[in-house]
Amino acid sequence: MIANLRVIRTTFELDLKQQAVDLFMIFGVVIQPLLIAIMAIYMLSERDASRGIYVVVGSGMTGLWTSLLFRGAFNINAERFMGTLEGIVASPSALATVVIGKTLASVTLSLLSMIFSYGLASLVFRLPLSVAQPVPFLLSLLVMVPTFIAFGLLISPLMAVNLSLSGWVNALEYPMYILGGFLFPILLLPGWSNPLSYVLAPYWAARVLHATSSGVATPADVLLSWAMMLLLGILYIAASYRLFKVVLRRARVDATLSLM
Amino acid sequence: MNAIEVRDLRRVFRATIGTIRRRTKEVVAVDGISFDVRDGELFGLLGPNGAGKTTTVKMLTTLLIPTGGTATILGHDVVQGAGSIRPRIGFIFGGERGLYWRLSAKDNLRYFADLYHMDPDIAKRRLPELLELVGLTGREDEKVEGYSRGMRQRLHVARCLLHDPQVLFLDEPTMGLDPVGARELRQVIQNMVSQDKTVFLTTHYMFEADALCERVAVINHGQIVALDSPEGLKGHVEDLSVIEVEVFGIAPAMVDALRQMADVDTVSVEDRDQKQSLRIHSPLGSAIVPQIMQRLDGNGARVGRVTVREPTLEDAYVRLVGGEV
Repeated sequence: MIANLRVIRTTFELDLKQQAVDLFMIFGVVIQPLLIAIMAIYMLSERDASRGIYVVVGSGMTGLWTSLLFRGAFNINAERFMGTLEGIVASPSALATVVIGKTLASVTLSLLSMIFSYGLASLVFRLPLSVAQPVPFLLSLLVMVPTFIAFGLLISPLMAVNLSLSGWVNALEYPMYILGGFLFPILLLPGWSNPLSYVLAPYWAARVLHATSSGVATPADVLLSWAMMLLLGILYIAASYRLFKVVLRRARVDATLSLM
Repeated sequence: MNAIEVRDLRRVFRATIGTIRRRTKEVVAVDGISFDVRDGELFGLLGPNGAGKTTTVKMLTTLLIPTGGTATILGHDVVQGAGSIRPRIGFIFGGERGLYWRLSAKDNLRYFADLYHMDPDIAKRRLPELLELVGLTGREDEKVEGYSRGMRQRLHVARCLLHDPQVLFLDEPTMGLDPVGARELRQVIQNMVSQDKTVFLTTHYMFEADALCERVAVINHGQIVALDSPEGLKGHVEDLSVIEVEVFGIAPAMVDALRQMADVDTVSVEDRDQKQSLRIHSPLGSAIVPQIMQRLDGNGARVGRVTVREPTLEDAYVRLVGGEV
């Protein structure tokens, strides 16, 4: 157990070091959320200045999702391209522990998106940015982190099953912005699409963060979102456990651990 | 006791070809090979490119599931007992990949120490020892992307030895290294055996196998065509002489014509800038030279220097793989 925690910690630390110099990650975590925040602020400024915090949280969520999706999709494939996947698989550590460390690094970096968006909206656009219910808001962030790690655990082996699947990552980025209710409520969407949102942990995270930051969250709302995040997190972990076994077995049969 | 036992090991790769009419093509990479490697032995697997060396190593290191047959490492099956094998083996695959280029050598080693669940105190003590062993002391904080090929290969060696494995698999470890770097690495490999480790080495350099290995298996087209000590392998060409002929721009059909000659055992061709060197094995020695010259002249080939010499270990290898070098 301690050895596995050490693997997660070292993976987290070294992955942060590598991501910090990755220009694509800098774009996804810093530049893109800023662009989305600027666009959303102009769109909403005519309507209601108090919507600033909604924009900050929403654009922060877009950065979080972009980072989680792309890093999740390429976590295993990047190791394959570097030739390090064989070294990891041939070690006594489970591949999942490495993916947990990497996803934790991605989530940590992504939370910076919210801080950047917050700074931009408050300093440059001088919008009122107080979080109405700070304690439930911060607790929701804490619940969100393990849930998002579980989501990353699901994405990584899914994308590693087949190299060509990773090409679909781009197509998955924007639908989540909409289905997750990051920048506007899903009530604006057609009713048939709502069940899709309900099985996505990012939707529940966005819902509770928006509600607590805007001050409209009831205790029942908060508890429902937390329960859904945890429930979906457990389901993602259960599915990923099976997926990791299938992926590793298939990779050893199909000779795809390396690009030999 | 045997550290490695291989019985009828087989691996078939399936590739899909065609766009609309997709068909599956099967390629037999390893075709029913069997051998044992004793505890503490330095065993060589020698063969030309594409002979099945790397596929064999990947199956023995649990990274590839065999299509047929069995293999055990330290008594554990490579498929069922992979979890028991992995902490006790180390491997190096030739080439520069397999390391984190954006990290320093020290970070790379620290990470693999954790992946192998090493005690942090032991890892901390072992890291400088290994860096010293592979000659990277003083460069350990530099990023790997700034390393030369030789330095990366030495870092691979340090990574491989980090968790003190009992069995080491070295797949063409000196590939691409300069002569000095390759010699230093061979010295490190010899030191591994003196520390009672079992080493399984693949190479296509005969002299390397000759210098290092107690026994050598020669593999070609996925099958083992000979298994003996280096001295024993030399016995395969005792009856032959080697005729080396320099030619300029010889056609493949001409080489085939030479192969068809009576009393010619094997013919191999090596490209050397503008010219080629033909190596012809024959039991007749210098007596066959006039026939060869006649055949070459008759086809308009420009011929340079001709020499006749006694066979070496490399010639034994060439004969065993049918001239495919």
